[in-house]
Amino acid sequence: MPAGGYYALLFGVPMVGLFVLSFLRAQGFEVVVDFSFANYEKIATSPLYQKLLVRTIRVGIVTAAIVVPMAFALSYLMRFVFERRGQLILQLILLSLFSGYLVRIYAWRTILGKQGLLNSTLQWLGLIDEPLAFLIYSDYATIITLTGILLPLAVLPIHSAMANITRAHIEAARDLGSRRLHLIRTILVPMALPGVRAAFAFAFLLAAGDFVTPALVGGTGGLMIGNVVADQFKGIGANWPLGAALAFVTLACVLVLYVVIVRAIRRVTMW
Amino acid sequence: MVSGGRNVLATVYLVAVLFYLYAPVAVIVLFSFADLPRLSMPIEGLTLHWYGDAFANPLLTTALWNSLALALISALVAGGLGTAFAFGAMKVRRTRVRGALLAASLLPAIVPLLVIGIALAMLFNALGLSQSLRNAAFGHVLVCLPFVILTMNARLETFDFTILESARDLGASPFRAFRDITFPLIRPSVLGAALLAAALSLDEFVVTWFNIGSHQTLPVLVWGLMRQGINPSINALASLLLFALICLVTVSGLSGCRARSAPTVSKQERMH
Repeated sequence: MPAGGYYALLFGVPMVGLFVLSFLRAQGFEVVVDFSFANYEKIATSPLYQKLLVRTIRVGIVTAAIVVPMAFALSYLMRFVFERRGQLILQLILLSLFSGYLVRIYAWRTILGKQGLLNSTLQWLGLIDEPLAFLIYSDYATIITLTGILLPLAVLPIHSAMANITRAHIEAARDLGSRRLHLIRTILVPMALPGVRAAFAFAFLLAAGDFVTPALVGGTGGLMIGNVVADQFKGIGANWPLGAALAFVTLACVLVLYVVIVRAIRRVTMW
Repeated sequence: MVSGGRNVLATVYLVAVLFYLYAPVAVIVLFSFADLPRLSMPIEGLTLHWYGDAFANPLLTTALWNSLALALISALVAGGLGTAFAFGAMKVRRTRVRGALLAASLLPAIVPLLVIGIALAMLFNALGLSQSLRNAAFGHVLVCLPFVILTMNARLETFDFTILESARDLGASPFRAFRDITFPLIRPSVLGAALLAAALSLDEFVVTWFNIGSHQTLPVLVWGLMRQGINPSINALASLLLFALICLVTVSGLSGCRARSAPTVSKQERMH
C-alpha cells in the first residue's frame, strides 16, 4: 500500500523525529545531540510560557464550546426540521471551508479593525463617536474568527452521527410517552455523542494549534503558544528543540483536557 | 414535529449562521472594487485599480504558477494514492481493522497544521533537502490525502464489488478488470476527490510556509502583503484566489453528483 508508506514516511517519521528533537539542545544555529529534559524544564519554570499556554487552552476551549453547540443545532435542523433541503444546506455550510483560510482571517481584520467596516459604519451612522477599540486585537477577535473557520468542520461529524437516528427511533420514544426535552436527552444526544466528541476534538485541537489567526487579529496581547512555536522555527533567534518541546507540551495538555471534558460530558448525558 | 413559530426561529438561526460564514468573503470581494485605499464605509465609487496593482506585482506570476503546479501535483498524487488506499482498506475483511486504518488515515487532518509543518521541515532538514517547492509538494499531498480518502471511502461503500468478481470469473486480468470496469465506474468520484485536493492545495498556507523557503505561492504572497500593512491589492488577490477555489469546488461537486448516479447506470448495463 503506497499510501500507507507515504503516511509512515512523511507523517509518522517526522512526528517521532520532532518528539526526539524536543529532547535535544540548541547551540547557536546548531542542534546538539545531548539528551535532556532541559527544554521541558524551561517551559515548566517560565511564567511567560505558562501564561501563553493557559491563554491558548482557554481560547481553544471557548471556541470549541461555541462551535460544538452551534454545529449540533445546525445538524439537528438539517436532519429534522429542513429535511428536504438538508443536503443543500450541508453543501452550503461545507462550501465555506473552501473560501480561503487566509482570506477569511484577513476579512475579519477588515471588519473588526479600528478603522474597519464595523467601526466606520457605526461612526458613519452616527451611533458612536470614537471607534470601539476592543473589537480587534483581543481574544474575542481570535475566537470570532476561529469559530467561523472551524464551524463547518464540526458540522461534518455531528451531521453524519445524526444520520443514524431515524424517525422510527423518535416515534417509538414518543409513543412510549417521551416529551421533547426528554427525547433530546435520551435519544438524540446519546446517539449523536460520537459525532459531538469528534467535533469537539477537531475544534479544540485546531483552535489551540492555530497561529495565523492570533497573529493577524489577536494583536501583541493576544499571542498564543502557536506563535511562539512558529517563531522558534521561522523567527530570529530560532530554537528548534525548544519549539518542538512547546508543541508537544501543548498537544499533551489539549489531549489530557479533551479526555477529562469528554468524560464529564458522558457523565452528564448518562444521567 | 415542528410548529410554525419554531420554524421561523430555525430559519432565522440558519440564515444568521450562513451570513456569519459568508459575510467576510463578501466583504473582501466588495472592497476589492471599492474606490478608497482605506477599508471603511461609505464606499463612494468602484474601480479595477486594485486588480491592476495586484497584477503589477512582479511576484504574482511566479506565485500563480507555483500554486497551480502544487495544485496539479496534489490532485494527481493525492488523488491516486488516496484512491488506492481507500480500495485497499475496502478489501480488508475485518471491520475493526478497516475502521482503525481509516481512522489512522485521518490523523493528519486532526493534528494542527503548524505541527505537521514544522515536523516536515525538520525531516527535510535532517535529510539535507533544502526548503523548496519540492518539499512543499510533499507536504501538500500529505495534507490533502485524508480528504481524498474520506471522499473515496464514502463512494466505495456503495460500490458493487460483485461486478469485479464477475469480470475476474470471465477471465479478465486484475489490470484489465480495473481498466475496463472499476475505473470507468469510479472516474467521476476520483475526479471529484482530485479536484478537492487541488482546492485544498491552492488554499494551503501553514505547511507551505514552513517548507517552501523563499519561493512564493498565492497564499504565501498574500501573507507577505498582509504583514506589510493595509494594501487594497490584497483584496484583489484574495478575490482571485476565491474565484479559483469556487471554480474547483463547483466542478468537484458536479462530478460528485454524477458519481452518485453512476451505480444505477451500471445495473442497467448489466441487464443487457
